[in-house]
Amino acid sequence: MTFVPRRQSDVAPRSAVSNGQRAGTAIKGAPAGFFLNPAAILVLMLSLFPFLFSLGMTFTNWNLLYPGVDFRALENWRRLFDDETLGRAVRNTVFFTTAATILEYVLGLMLAILVLQIKRGQRFFRLIFLLPMMISPAAVGYVIGRMLFSETQGPINNILFRLGLPYVPWTSNPGVAPWTIVVADVWQWTSFMFVLLLAGLQSLPGEPFEAARVDGASNWQIFTQITFPLLVPVTVTAVLIRSLELFKLIDLVRVITAGGPGTATQTVTLYVYDLALTRGDMGYGATVAYALLIIVILYATFYLWLTRRAVEKVA
Amino acid sequence: MSKLLRRNLAYVPLIIWAIVILFPLYWMVITSFKLPIDINRGVSYIPWVDFVPSLHAWQDLLQGAVPIADPLRNSFLAATISSIAAVGLGGMAGYGLSRFQYRWGPWRNKDIAFWFISQRMLPPAAAILAFMIMFKYLHLLDSVAGLAIAYTGFNLPFAIWIMRDFFLALPRELEESSLVEGASWLTTFWRIVLPLSVPGLAATGILLFIFSWNEYLFASLLAFEKAKTMPVTIAGMATAIGIRWWLMSALAIVSMVPTVLLGLLLERYIVRGLTAGAIK
Repeated sequence: MTFVPRRQSDVAPRSAVSNGQRAGTAIKGAPAGFFLNPAAILVLMLSLFPFLFSLGMTFTNWNLLYPGVDFRALENWRRLFDDETLGRAVRNTVFFTTAATILEYVLGLMLAILVLQIKRGQRFFRLIFLLPMMISPAAVGYVIGRMLFSETQGPINNILFRLGLPYVPWTSNPGVAPWTIVVADVWQWTSFMFVLLLAGLQSLPGEPFEAARVDGASNWQIFTQITFPLLVPVTVTAVLIRSLELFKLIDLVRVITAGGPGTATQTVTLYVYDLALTRGDMGYGATVAYALLIIVILYATFYLWLTRRAVEKVA
Repeated sequence: MSKLLRRNLAYVPLIIWAIVILFPLYWMVITSFKLPIDINRGVSYIPWVDFVPSLHAWQDLLQGAVPIADPLRNSFLAATISSIAAVGLGGMAGYGLSRFQYRWGPWRNKDIAFWFISQRMLPPAAAILAFMIMFKYLHLLDSVAGLAIAYTGFNLPFAIWIMRDFFLALPRELEESSLVEGASWLTTFWRIVLPLSVPGLAATGILLFIFSWNEYLFASLLAFEKAKTMPVTIAGMATAIGIRWWLMSALAIVSMVPTVLLGLLLERYIVRGLTAGAIK
């Protein structure tokens, strides 16, 4: 008879939390490993091996241009601290990550709030704002970075000229070039923030807003005291994902400025690429990659520690 | 009157941002209809007014002056195979993590799930050099199979994370009653779980397809010639002599069409896939 279990299931709450808590009670006789192991083995093979192998490389002087590989202990790791290009690359990477994440978040949030306020054309704007995410960063780099911002043949300088404004050295001036990269990244990835924040706004409960409106709160008060605090969890995730991606930035920079002028837009990942593939210096390239890995892990740990309090305060 | 004005004020920034997004796309389209001489002569904006549109870039593509059939096929195969494989394996792992208690030494389900997603946080630069060597010895360099395997590996953690969230939110009463009625766990998974998870699997699959289709860094290192993909082909229009803007624009449009169409048609699913895990 199936009578008793059925009645139980009818009474059981249907929330995600209860499912999680009761994990392990449903499927008897099923080999749990059948579900998890294939994925676990593949991820182990494709990520653990490369990372261990790279770690081994950091202790050698392996260079593709010269024969022979010798063990060099921590020589590569010591080299990190005297490497001026690396210092510059780290500062640039931190700048790109900070500037682009903040701009993308603020723009994405503003656009999401505004889209929800309009009556007609909501779907039209949503679809258009989603577009940049669908395009390959390589194409975005060439079309935006190289074509639009071309200093002599690009429409942007041409429009500035027609308006009687001065030419801007978008990619040839070391002070301007980093901002050109940021603009290209913002163009492409504000869409990501927009999508996440729009979904976040739509999933907010209605009651606090109605109560605030009854109390005569201004729009600004509602935003700072209700909307934003309720959005903290989504914000934490969205900012984490975008900043981790930006730490790895290479596509756009490689296409738009190739790290130049000089080292003005060099990023850590691009530097690894140059070291290993242009100069053949695999040992040191792997060491720089590992240094980035350590920075990212420290950053993510610190970020999660810092934001956990903010999230807990809301919940 | 002022109320009307204020309500419509929201349109101003929205329209500005829409222009910011559409102008580069417009520029790409008109550039693909320009002759080299039009580009060198100066900046021109409006076809038939500023310059005479020409089909020569598109003719070049159609006549195979720049081979695109192979890159399109390579991109399609690598993206399709890897997203199906990642969604299949990731769906199973996500289901397992939402329904069973695992123990890997001191690690429980939560730690295992975090271990998976942390694989995606790591900078690819550390892995890429080892990948090239590994693939060289496995004879997977410059092959679609190699690219598909690499993409499956990158996409898998993401798929597991999304699908685990999806299954946690899926009520399990149906599975329970199926089991109680004497169906085997395999039948239950096949008949009950799989049909219910189609929306989640589809959303994840579309996202992963778009990521893989657009991926450039690994493709440029692991598949440079025979297995060349669309993004690598686009970048290849930048030669030592200069950039062939008209061809590059046409290529970029061709490579955009599938993902943009997917994006527009399945916007709802993409949003759902992206927001799984981010919104509770």
